[in-house]
Amino acid sequence: MSTRNLVLSSLFAAIIVALGMLPPIYLAVFAVPITAQSLGVMMAGTVLGAYRAGAAVLIVLVLVAIGLPVLSGGRGGLAVFAGPTAGFLLGWLVGAVVTGYLSEKLVNAEQSGLVQTVSFFLACFIGGVVTVYFFGILYLGIVGGTGISKAFLGSLAFVPGDIFKAVIAALAGRAVMAGYPLLPQRA
Amino acid sequence: MKSLYVETDTILHRLSPRTKLVALAAISVALFFTRSYVLLAAAAAAGAFSYLLVGLPIREALRRLLPVFATIAAVAVFNFAFNSAEEAIVMLLRLTTLMLFAATVTATVTVASFIDEITALARPLERLGVVRAADIGLAAGLVIRFVPEILDRYAAIREAHAARGLKVGFLTVLAPLIILTLRDADNIAAAIDARGFRRQ
Repeated sequence: MSTRNLVLSSLFAAIIVALGMLPPIYLAVFAVPITAQSLGVMMAGTVLGAYRAGAAVLIVLVLVAIGLPVLSGGRGGLAVFAGPTAGFLLGWLVGAVVTGYLSEKLVNAEQSGLVQTVSFFLACFIGGVVTVYFFGILYLGIVGGTGISKAFLGSLAFVPGDIFKAVIAALAGRAVMAGYPLLPQRA
Repeated sequence: MKSLYVETDTILHRLSPRTKLVALAAISVALFFTRSYVLLAAAAAAGAFSYLLVGLPIREALRRLLPVFATIAAVAVFNFAFNSAEEAIVMLLRLTTLMLFAATVTATVTVASFIDEITALARPLERLGVVRAADIGLAAGLVIRFVPEILDRYAAIREAHAARGLKVGFLTVLAPLIILTLRDADNIAAAIDARGFRRQ
């Protein structure tokens, strides 16, 4: 990994950590607070592409493991990985890579703004929602003992919020691409 | 950013980090081989005992575990309602035990020795050319250095928007925040290479 890519991944990891420290955003549409950290995971994919986005999320997970309170609400330490929702954290890693891979494949500079935004949204939805929930539900179902189908139904309540985040991540990905494109330069 | 390490000197602190991590891994596997209430309850009691030995004040000790325990309890209640009481109790005891032992390790291993262990773990990968083990510490340092800067920048961009009479939306702040932060990457990379931190 070149020094520049290492720095880009580390800086994005810092953005993901910082997003967890901002006060949660309350949206009028949903009564639930939106924590922006999983939004950061999707944006890593849309802004950096598969390889560097994976590295950025891996750095965040390593910081959690070594005992720094970098997750939203000041959570951190190995105990986080003992919870029944630890599968979602593993899902972040794969999800960021998938989002990044699809962003690289679907989006290019010649497309119109609308096509770019929709393509980014598809990448975020498949990577940041479907992939993340796949790992999260699998882990919850097996380790949490709920069974896969019940874990699936129980997780559905959180899907609308994450789809909303995918929209934000797509818009942000498109805005960054217009202002400071990093995506076409392959790692 | 303050790490979750607890600065005291107990028997658990003096054990080598590797012993503790290997023990934690062994416990986490062993817990899934039994469904006996007695064995699991004994394990949970041992976990609670080791966590108490760490030397944290009780309030702080509980406060740290509350968010993780809340998710464990929520899933246990879910299991109780939709599956069986047996499943709920087994899962509650297993994951609570795991949480207590994991928190014990986190409280007794410094960030520096954690990084040493991860670096040692990454050495075989280094031979394959996948990663450079020393980069792990460098990346961790960069994140810790830049988080406060990003938070300051977030506040500055919000003020700049407000000063111009623009509506301060989350999205309108996000894009400039990312661009401004990543634009530093070239300079930081040049500074790292100029100082030879990665021995290139």
